[in-house]
Amino acid sequence: MSEPAVTRHSPPDGAPLDSQLAQALDEQRLSDWTEMFTDDALYVILSRENYDRGLPVGLIYCENKRMIHDRAFALMETSMFAPRYLRHIIANQVVVSVESNGTIKSRANYVVLQVLFDRPDATLHQVGVYYDVFRRVGGELKLAERRCVYDNLLVPNALCIPV
Amino acid sequence: MAWQRVASFSEIDVDGVLGVDVNGSPVALYRLSNEVFATSGICTHALALLSDGFVEDGRIECPLHQGQFDVRSGKALCAPVTEDLRTYAVKLEGDDVFIDMERPAASAPAVANAAPNCKAGDGVRNAEEGDQAGTRKIATMNVDPELSLTKRYVWPAEGLTRIPDWVYTDQTIYEREIERIFHGRTWNYVALECEVPKVGDFIRSNVGPTPVVVVRADDGSINVVENRCSHRAAEFCRELSGNVKEFVCPYHQWSYDLQGNLAGVPFRRGVNGKGGMPADFNNAQHGLRRLNVTTHRGVVFASYLDDMESFQNYLGPEVLNEFEATFDGRKPRLLGYYRHTLPGNWKLYHENLKDPYHATLLHTFLVTFGLLVAGNRSLMLADATGRHGVMASAKSERKSVSSDAKKEMRAYRDGMTLAEPRFMDFVEEFDSPWSVTMATIWPNLIIQREMNTLGLRQIIPTGPHEFIMKWTMFGFEGDDEEMTRHRLRQGNLMGPAGFLGLEDNEAIKFVQDGMQHVPGGQHLVKLDPAVAAGTSDSLISEASIRAMYRHWRAEMGL
Repeated sequence: MSEPAVTRHSPPDGAPLDSQLAQALDEQRLSDWTEMFTDDALYVILSRENYDRGLPVGLIYCENKRMIHDRAFALMETSMFAPRYLRHIIANQVVVSVESNGTIKSRANYVVLQVLFDRPDATLHQVGVYYDVFRRVGGELKLAERRCVYDNLLVPNALCIPV
Repeated sequence: MAWQRVASFSEIDVDGVLGVDVNGSPVALYRLSNEVFATSGICTHALALLSDGFVEDGRIECPLHQGQFDVRSGKALCAPVTEDLRTYAVKLEGDDVFIDMERPAASAPAVANAAPNCKAGDGVRNAEEGDQAGTRKIATMNVDPELSLTKRYVWPAEGLTRIPDWVYTDQTIYEREIERIFHGRTWNYVALECEVPKVGDFIRSNVGPTPVVVVRADDGSINVVENRCSHRAAEFCRELSGNVKEFVCPYHQWSYDLQGNLAGVPFRRGVNGKGGMPADFNNAQHGLRRLNVTTHRGVVFASYLDDMESFQNYLGPEVLNEFEATFDGRKPRLLGYYRHTLPGNWKLYHENLKDPYHATLLHTFLVTFGLLVAGNRSLMLADATGRHGVMASAKSERKSVSSDAKKEMRAYRDGMTLAEPRFMDFVEEFDSPWSVTMATIWPNLIIQREMNTLGLRQIIPTGPHEFIMKWTMFGFEGDDEEMTRHRLRQGNLMGPAGFLGLEDNEAIKFVQDGMQHVPGGQHLVKLDPAVAAGTSDSLISEASIRAMYRHWRAEMGL
């Protein structure tokens, strides 16, 4: 049986992978999260202010999977921050284009809620847009590019877990 | 203040306590035989009214935790109270009891030291007696103590090795800082010149908490004006940056030129001969509040005082030297911003960068990857006034870390390596013996030169418990693309998500958290006693923090 091509009913978007990425971050399984990127993946979190003005500075700026790995490793093994729970919520996924080699360009809104242990409220830690590129590597969909562009320009204190 | 009548003698029971309210301050009056004594009405331990307590053998026992004080001398007698009560002078005239709140009670005979702890049963027994007495009179009192009672801005007797919590938590202190420091005799960082290169370019900025606009005027000058319409105080400029020909307040369309002069007032002469401004209204007197401005090597500073010393003098020769090592004549190029809130007092950020002790202990990332070890060559510089500082260190090649040092650094691990080590490379570009310098420029700027990632961190206080930090990250004109990308990669160290930056923000939050629910607390800053206050060549030192507080106390009159 030949591999089904794109069908009308299930466009080949990155939604299932998005959910896996979000779940790995929520559960703070950062090495699993790392494995969902291609080797040459770009991962940048930048403010809408910088993005709109063409300024390249990012809160997190990773040019390849090795840097993503180092980020994950350092956060898990060396970084000091208060324990917290996070929920990554992704919505309004839109496929912008699908190229012939299966590369998908898409975007989605995201919200990260954060709970610290000494307050009753979940605070809106970050809200923004993912500008993504998904690519198949060995038949598996991976994230080749993710620009997280956040709208709340004032980061509440510290961003400890990626978004 | 003088004598005030506070009660009738006959109102006070023998061996009883009467609470009265004097100018909003709770006062406790005690009668022992025919003598009357007065003390502050609030226990020094926790917030409890002593007039709800019990008098026995010349002692008042607090109803809340059974601490005891001598009613004559105010002396704290047993746990949990340790701080004496304030006493007030008392005189009797006929049936009238007078006190003088500015004068302590005449020195009383020493009271024999009580047993160090109260007997466990005391509280119960006294409560029963109290019920029997039954008729204790309690004046109507304001149970919320007045500020004057609980706030005593007295520096600890130990001197600069202690910092009281109220320095970081008190609204009155904060307001005085705005007035005396940020709006006082200081140069405040507001912008890089490269952010406003052309006529009409502006950015929003702040001097202390006060919003300002930094704008390039027609004559090429850089002007700093309050972002507050001189009519009804509206914060008229809402965009973070942009280019304009003039500023127009959206509320009533008052317009200002690029130097802040009032240009137009709609309906100034009224309509149909009615209304309008008074005939003597003079635009020249109603411009935007303009600040004194200076620039040095492309960095813009502003002051509320017109008679400021030069910026070079303000920094002093040693800190100026470090400033000019970073701003070495190349033109800065803007790379972007980080902005974050930080739920801590603004001074804690200065202290964090005058505290090289924390660097190897908190930032285990640095240690793990050999960027900083306790034995690296380093300097913690303070200028002559103590207000500015530079924390400097030189990167060493990764070498074996002594076993002593490893023991002290909880996260050290042999053989830990980065998958992408080049982001930690140091490209030599500065004429300086240091690979890392953090210059704290009083009162609102940190110049970060963390190897090749460069940033200006601007402190914008918003209250005693929080500030905003705006980071302006830059490179230089002439950087090639690879150098820019190197700076961006290395930027992972800093900012609110940086390997080091996030830890600093968390630690400072923890400090502020720790002060919230412990009244009367103090910080300990005793490291490096060989240097009373000032420059130290040891990383294990708090001498620069002490130097900053020597200056701060002088500026604040505390």
